[in-house]
Amino acid sequence: MKLLPHWPGWGHLPREARDALFLLAVIAWTIAPHFTHLPPWCLALTAGVVGWRAWLAVANGALPGRWPLLIALVLAMGLTFSTHRTLLGKDAGINLLVVLMVLKTLELRARRDAFVVFFLGFFIVLTNFLYAQSMAVALAMLASVWGLLTALVLAHMPVGRPPLARAGAVAAKAALLGAPIMLVLFMLFPRIGPLWAVPQDVVAKTGLSGALRMGGIAEVALDESVAFRVRFEGRPPDPDRLYWRGPVLGRFDGVEWARIEPNSVNAYVRGAELAVRGPAVPYEMTLEPSRLPLLPLLEATPATVEDRPRVEGLRTSLRADLQWMTDRPVTERLRLSARAFLEHRHGPLQDSLALREYTDLPPSFNPRTLEWADRLRSEPRYANATPEALVQAVLNTIRSGFTYTLTPGTYGDDEGRHAIDEFWLDRKRGFCEHFSTAFVVVMRALDVPARIVTGYQGMDIEPQDGWYVVRNSHAHAWAEVWLEGRGWVRVDPTAVVAPERVVQSRALRAPAGVVAGAIDAVNPALMANLRKAWERANNQWNQWVLGYSRNDQFSLLERMGWRSPDWSDLAYLLTALMSGAALAGAAWAWWDRHRRDPWQRLAQRLARRLRALGVEAQPHEGLQALARRVREALGPRAEALACRLDALDALRYGRDAIARPSRQWWRDFARESAALGSR
Amino acid sequence: MSPRQRLRHWFESRLPRSDSWTLTQRNIYIVPTRAGLMFALVLLVMLLATINYQLSLGYVLTFLLAGAGFVSMHLTHGTLRGMTLHLKPPASGFAGQPMMLEIVLAGAARDQHGVGLGFEHAPDRSHDVFVDVASGGQASAHLAFTPPARGLHVLPTLRVETRFPLGLFRAWSVWRPAATALAWPVPESPLAPWPASPSAAGEAAPQTRSSSGEFDGVRSYRRGDPLKRIVWKKVAKGGDLVSRDHVSAVQLELWLDWQHAQLPGTEPRLSRLAAWVVAAEAAGVPHGLRLPGIEIAPGAGTAHRRASLDALAAWS
Repeated sequence: MKLLPHWPGWGHLPREARDALFLLAVIAWTIAPHFTHLPPWCLALTAGVVGWRAWLAVANGALPGRWPLLIALVLAMGLTFSTHRTLLGKDAGINLLVVLMVLKTLELRARRDAFVVFFLGFFIVLTNFLYAQSMAVALAMLASVWGLLTALVLAHMPVGRPPLARAGAVAAKAALLGAPIMLVLFMLFPRIGPLWAVPQDVVAKTGLSGALRMGGIAEVALDESVAFRVRFEGRPPDPDRLYWRGPVLGRFDGVEWARIEPNSVNAYVRGAELAVRGPAVPYEMTLEPSRLPLLPLLEATPATVEDRPRVEGLRTSLRADLQWMTDRPVTERLRLSARAFLEHRHGPLQDSLALREYTDLPPSFNPRTLEWADRLRSEPRYANATPEALVQAVLNTIRSGFTYTLTPGTYGDDEGRHAIDEFWLDRKRGFCEHFSTAFVVVMRALDVPARIVTGYQGMDIEPQDGWYVVRNSHAHAWAEVWLEGRGWVRVDPTAVVAPERVVQSRALRAPAGVVAGAIDAVNPALMANLRKAWERANNQWNQWVLGYSRNDQFSLLERMGWRSPDWSDLAYLLTALMSGAALAGAAWAWWDRHRRDPWQRLAQRLARRLRALGVEAQPHEGLQALARRVREALGPRAEALACRLDALDALRYGRDAIARPSRQWWRDFARESAALGSR
Repeated sequence: MSPRQRLRHWFESRLPRSDSWTLTQRNIYIVPTRAGLMFALVLLVMLLATINYQLSLGYVLTFLLAGAGFVSMHLTHGTLRGMTLHLKPPASGFAGQPMMLEIVLAGAARDQHGVGLGFEHAPDRSHDVFVDVASGGQASAHLAFTPPARGLHVLPTLRVETRFPLGLFRAWSVWRPAATALAWPVPESPLAPWPASPSAAGEAAPQTRSSSGEFDGVRSYRRGDPLKRIVWKKVAKGGDLVSRDHVSAVQLELWLDWQHAQLPGTEPRLSRLAAWVVAAEAAGVPHGLRLPGIEIAPGAGTAHRRASLDALAAWS
């Protein structure tokens, strides 16, 4: 057995072999994005079976029987179970889908088998979206769907060896003609929530998770997707003053930061003890679905009637730590308006026992940092220092030896302990979460109540259509310390070491890769423009495709003239449009029945004319046969008419054939036949 | 007859018989195939998954496929619409042997693919013939029709159908052709001995026109004379075709008579006569045919053979 069969060239492959190779290529392309999610044995199986099937196609070998396939399937299911410990769930399900699809390629016999492959293929395309819905993935999967449809069309062209391009054109035609239907359904099909609970890992997004584990992230994968958009009445405040407040993390177990438990004293403090000064900043916000039960509002947005955010269908409340909560996770896009006061004071002014919770540190974690704090405290100049002075001292330490970077590597031992020690005393490189957590730990070690606030900081400098964009890459973590007489005061240690991060409100930006670096070196402006164009496209994609929500549907209806639209309006409109499409299709078919081959139409008119002259023509007879019949039946007096028929034959089939019959010819023929008839 | 068959029979009997069948909206039917129903189910499951995982691109994919499926219904219908089918009357043949029906498809406004033709009442679809029809062009399909018995047969009902392009819908039309097919009797096998000797045959005995067995002269060419008997020298000199008037040429002018086929029953007799006609023609012997009420003068050649066999086929 030769290892490689003879390759006759793509153009000389037998049709079955060519179609099989094409389908295998489409299948491989569809499965490819799952490369990183599949266990190694599944990848090996996929590669092996697809390769073998391709070999069989080219070598024209026999497909294996039913039993070996069944055994392989049972084995693969066993392996799937042993890998995932279940046959249900997302990963195991995708694994099984891929195995089924790949084994089915070995059983392509009847048309029914082909359909099974196509349906499995569409499912695998869908599962790819569970992992990523970027533009690149969408384009790749569009190619997959086109390929699958092309293969489906090929399966229904049983004659000869139709070119792939022809089948591809038919598939594209079906998809393109169907695109308006897709568009209408996409825009109007009511977006309803999940029908039953799905594992949250699928949908959780980066941003504000409500917990923070410092040092666990070696490199920040930047998420340029939009968190929300904001519009100000009047001049927007400087970006460095914009802190969008998310979860406040006060509890530290040595590894992870979390919120203060609901049963803690501090969760029950009534009211936010918020006092505002200065002018109000009215703003409007469009929030992308975060799937978290909170609103990242501008610090500080009070809970008074005229200031508090008003949102349809959600109950909002302000926690004692000044964070706005909702009564359920935000799963659709929200629009709200509220007023904030950049100058404010909040928290108790007098020390109380409740504040001791904010100086808690778990024992036996980060001992060297605690030691460092003790040493600082024992320095003579800080012996009786105020908390303000201590804050300045620690900030000075940060300023004088720390580096801001997005690729700090991981900190801490295998279980993530002592990460602060390593950061604060050894490596001194990190980004906002490193600085804020270390700062809070040090302040607590110095007996100053402190906590971490997560949220967003800043916004894109240039507005898009009057809206400023805040991205998930604007996510930030800062600190608050409690000072007697002043309440909770914001301290942003990251601003000390990387002021541009806060002052210019630059979103976190990862270092450039090789290609981007090269472009940057040649033409910085080009790189910036490219990035901007890319971001704009991505924004549009996120906003109009991924973020298209119930609210967009309702606002679309409002623009079409509905007053306070609801589900039933969507359903009515959708039903009306779909019925319209069906009617239009029927109308097209009705109109199209008249559209026939012009030569065919001419042939019918000719037959009628000739019958009037007494020449009976058979429907399948050609023009030359008609001419012969005319000569036989009518003799020499009809010679001119017969010549015309011969001329028409030449016009149609001759060297200078024309596509449509000429009108002049018909007029001449009609005149002559009329003259003959009247004689 | 089951009610379903009865319904189908009634439905078919309403169709006009015609040798030319133009497919229009009125005579094309379309229903989803089993695969089409499966497709709808798959789309439903995909939609459920999409809703549950809140996948925007899942909506795009599901609706894209739904749109393509809907369009494919029109494309499938449009594949047949506007096409005209002509049936060329089939040549006669022996009963029990397939005769070829040629169907010409024309008048497609666009290039059409995968148009299948078959008999409506065939037990399965494995004998369907598929053709592609180019825009403005013609294509012909050949279907084998096997007449079961001697006689004039009405051609069975034809069905033209397509699943192109996606196989989710099946469009078809049922066509009752007007043309008939004449089936000759099956020649008896083995061949029975020739009709009895001249004396016994009486009137029908081969008659001798010349006294000697020698070359006798020439006479003008008669249809059916073998080529080797033509006097080519005379022809070359510019005369009419003349044949040698040879004793043997006329000695065996055979009358094939209903009376000589001594068999009980009509069909075996006709079979025997058919076998004699075939054998006489193969042997190059001029033969005439006598059936009650029909007499075909002796002759030879393809046309004569056909005339004789046609007479046998149509006799009743």
